[in-house]
Amino acid sequence: MGLAGLVNPYTITALDGVAYGLLLFTIAAGLTLIVGVAGVLSMAHGTLYLAGAYLAWYLADGGWAGLALALAGAVVVGAFGGAGLAAAVRPLTDRPLDQVLATLGVAYIAADQFSTVFGAEPRSVDPPRALAGSVSLGDYQYPVYRLGFIAVGVLLVVGLFWFVERSRVGAVVRAVVADPGMAAASGLRTGLVRTGVLVGGGVLAVTAGVLGAPVIGPSPGVDTTILVYSLIVCVVGGLGSIRGALLAALGVGQILTLGVALVPGAAAFLLAAAMLAALTIRQRTALPGRPA
Amino acid sequence: MTGALLRLVTVSRSYGARRAVNEVSVELPPGARHAIIGPNGAGKSTLLHLVAGTLRPTSGRIHYAGHDISGWPAHRRARAGIARTWQHPALARPLTAVQNVLLAVPGQRLAALRPQRRAVTAAHAALAQVGLAKLAERPAGQLAYGDQRRLEIAVALAAAPRLLLLDEPSAGLAAEEITRLTELIRALPDDMTVLLVDHNLDFVAAVATTVTVLHHGQHIATGTPAEIRDHPDVRRVYLGTDALTSPAPNSPATPAAVAGTPVLRVRTLSAGYTGAPVLTDITLDVRAGRVAAVVGRNGAGKTTLINTIAGLHPAGPGTDILLHGQPLTGCDTRRRARAGLGMVPQGRRLFAGLTVDEHLTLPRPHPTRSRSVDARQVLDLFPVLAERRQHRPHQLSGGEQQMLALARALLAAPDVLLLDEPAEGLAPAVVGQLAAIITGLAAEGTAILLAEQNLALACQVAHDIAVLDRARIVRHVATADIREYPTDLHDLLTVPTTAPTPS
Amino acid sequence: MTTILTPNPDAGIAQTPVRRCGFGPAWLLPTAGVGVLVAAVTLPWLINAYLISLATTALVMAVLAMSAQLLAGLPGLAPLGQAAYLVVGAYTAASVATLTGLGPVQLLAAAAAGAVAAAVTGVLAVRARGTTFLMVTFGLGELVHAAANQWAPGGSEGIHTPPVVALPGLPAMVRPGWVYLYVLACTLLIGAAVAVVVRTRFAWLLRGIAAHEPRVQAAGQHTGRLLLAAYTIAGGIAGAAGALAIADTRYVSPADAAMGVSALALAAALIGSGSMAGACAGAVLLVAARDWVGGLLGGHGPTLLGLAFLLLAYLPRHRLAGLTTRFPRRRR
Repeated sequence: MGLAGLVNPYTITALDGVAYGLLLFTIAAGLTLIVGVAGVLSMAHGTLYLAGAYLAWYLADGGWAGLALALAGAVVVGAFGGAGLAAAVRPLTDRPLDQVLATLGVAYIAADQFSTVFGAEPRSVDPPRALAGSVSLGDYQYPVYRLGFIAVGVLLVVGLFWFVERSRVGAVVRAVVADPGMAAASGLRTGLVRTGVLVGGGVLAVTAGVLGAPVIGPSPGVDTTILVYSLIVCVVGGLGSIRGALLAALGVGQILTLGVALVPGAAAFLLAAAMLAALTIRQRTALPGRPA
Repeated sequence: MTGALLRLVTVSRSYGARRAVNEVSVELPPGARHAIIGPNGAGKSTLLHLVAGTLRPTSGRIHYAGHDISGWPAHRRARAGIARTWQHPALARPLTAVQNVLLAVPGQRLAALRPQRRAVTAAHAALAQVGLAKLAERPAGQLAYGDQRRLEIAVALAAAPRLLLLDEPSAGLAAEEITRLTELIRALPDDMTVLLVDHNLDFVAAVATTVTVLHHGQHIATGTPAEIRDHPDVRRVYLGTDALTSPAPNSPATPAAVAGTPVLRVRTLSAGYTGAPVLTDITLDVRAGRVAAVVGRNGAGKTTLINTIAGLHPAGPGTDILLHGQPLTGCDTRRRARAGLGMVPQGRRLFAGLTVDEHLTLPRPHPTRSRSVDARQVLDLFPVLAERRQHRPHQLSGGEQQMLALARALLAAPDVLLLDEPAEGLAPAVVGQLAAIITGLAAEGTAILLAEQNLALACQVAHDIAVLDRARIVRHVATADIREYPTDLHDLLTVPTTAPTPS
Repeated sequence: MTTILTPNPDAGIAQTPVRRCGFGPAWLLPTAGVGVLVAAVTLPWLINAYLISLATTALVMAVLAMSAQLLAGLPGLAPLGQAAYLVVGAYTAASVATLTGLGPVQLLAAAAAGAVAAAVTGVLAVRARGTTFLMVTFGLGELVHAAANQWAPGGSEGIHTPPVVALPGLPAMVRPGWVYLYVLACTLLIGAAVAVVVRTRFAWLLRGIAAHEPRVQAAGQHTGRLLLAAYTIAGGIAGAAGALAIADTRYVSPADAAMGVSALALAAALIGSGSMAGACAGAVLLVAARDWVGGLLGGHGPTLLGLAFLLLAYLPRHRLAGLTTRFPRRRR
């Protein structure tokens, strides 16, 4: 038995789920911090992923150079996109509904431009040739690129956790989540932190788009799909919590792959049940009308 | 025992490790007029929430009219005849006064297109009872603050409750409005039981027949207002006399040389909440190397004053705040901190989830500032923190939390330190340590503004004392004078023996 | 201070001052209403078939906007998933259409199905408040979208339905003008029903929840149940809109549950700022911007809709206090 016994269709699907979950985490980690720190529900977050995926498709040349160029481009596009969103929602502070409308408007305009420029049909993105093949795991063939993606995803998770939980900048971010007023009274630049989180979240989302393009390729509507799954991750994981986002993303990844394989068509119900459970538990533990 | 309408049996409520209410037992016979008083953080509001059902007790039982209601949700308790008001008016602002009252009149059908005649009559009766009959058609948002507070009570009365809970009914009201409120509560039907929480002790003495004093969630005493007034434990709770047993204070005049021009000047400061003035015409100076204390009862506006100076609360028009002669009024909180204002807020406001070490890496003195402090120096000052560097705030004791809040403020090398009730919830020995640290900081040249209810601590460390009462500073005194004539200040700070002092 | 009863306790209670227009003489509003009604009824004789079908779409969206307004305008909870119940209603109407072509029967069945779907999913939605409510309803809408792709008859291709019969004995409606008049009549009926609902004590309690939810609890009401009831009614209205959509296009597909439809309904409700008539006007405006102006410019409907959302976000608008108090400032 041993290792070979572990390899069956379900573990292969579960591995897909891990890749999917890590992809969702990369996107949703940015979003959960944007909602938790900046208080902005960015409906344009899926658009940033789509921008990254189109970037990867446009620059893909089958070699490492294209990927490297696309990653460099992702940093630029993500930074500008995040800064642009920060500037767009700045006049709308304390008006969450208007922030939703404004970012939704941006998402619509961007989606229309994408389909004008890149066409309405789905595009498939090939990974670099060096990663194009597949390896055999027991009796099964598994794409090398996905294994590589899982490795990069794990690195991203470790890096993000180190950044948020160990570095001084991460401590500043968590201080602003905990008590914005007191953070300002301690001399911290809360406004800069908010913009920085939007920029950082933007870079993460576009990078996820570049890396995830061979898995979830660019096509119209992908922005909404990505947005809804990352919002579900945020709701299940709790706003502003990076640990919660990781657990929720891995869970949603499994539901969308293993869950679909085991019980076809039940993914929607499982996701709704997960949200219901998370909200109910949090409602029980929250303290309504907690006196100061 | 059986006659009681409301009976709390060893009720406790914890937030994490902190026990906001600790095994409190209270019994109210039908028709009682009962008040709960106590310093900040005593657990008064939590107790009211527990009775109203917005919070559930961690342990203990609540019996009401023969039922155990500990597990009942808020709406079920309301249907059983428990009505309540809120500390800050929370009315449906676009709806008229009478519509607000109608929402609370029981026994109406949900599908009804027009309110029943009986309900309308009841609503107008409730409005007339609080003297708002003429303003019935005015949208609630357009009413004056005092009228909104009375509308709150009308909404509660409209439900014809057996038990009426009033949360800080006198907060933010002017003297004549409090008089009217007193008359209103005295005129309530005899069979209606009233449980109220308030800071204004004159008002409590005027309306309540029995009073319970809480301190740190624990029951201190219950009795008539007169008994409470003379109760030695109560006087100690309010004045913190126990802290006076700590070593005699340093001579207040030691560093006379440093006490030069004022570092922080506050001129004609005013502030308020949702239309209610909390502070008017506050003027005070804080000098380098000296400790200025602002003392006053709970609810006098001390915390609002500190927050307004720090920029956490908006200042009213005409306010001038000068630091080193530079106006701060237009600056945001961060710029004020960078300019040299350090703050230790009430309740400490530590960052949940950050370790002690992380707290100490956050503030950095601005490079343009001449003074600088590093974490090592601060940790020398607070040896307890050095042993707890990887702990998070909820793992620290109250004293350690206070030290951490102080250390966080000191790391920015402030010229002016704002301290808001630093002794709150601390054991006497820790208060003594704290006093020594504050005196030491002043001796090094920091200007300190201390907002304090604990008169003993204030007398121990402060050079000048300003007394805050009913939104104004009623007198400035040197500490030495207080030591000679303590009684007049005690009257201002504890249960009064006379009518309210004219301000 | 004795208890004095005012001589006429009924005075002033009858009016609902929340949505009173503060401008113009008293006759202006009824006159304008009659004018709009006359224009709406005579419309099929004035414009071409393409514009008539656009007007029908606008009416369907107006019904959906009323459904969104019932949640956004009264208890101040902004929904971003109302299209889900529209699609549930539309598929129900499509299955009923295989049995009978009678429009009113389809309408009732669709409304019932929308209400049931909303009652089931509402258990989840009403646990959330503020921004989380928006996120959860958005997630629910997209999940229904995904489930429709998987489970609904016709799959992602959608299904076609036969033309609708307005009343027994009448021929099936094929010409756009007749369909328009049928949808207009149904919209007016639904509008009248909604107008009754927003004047009940139930609606006043919902407004109270927007202002301060614990206060309504302290008045002895279970706010969760009130909100669930409101969510169910809104789902029923959205389901009815689905039946009207079938009558209009004779086609339904999972794409009708897309976020765009829900977002349009919410934006229309926000334009209406608490008023049902305003929400309908907002829906007409947004459909005109997306389809009519978009058609004139040769596509780019989404861009125009996006621009409309941006305009709506940045223009200063009068809003009911309820909408803003539902989203409190960041906790300190």
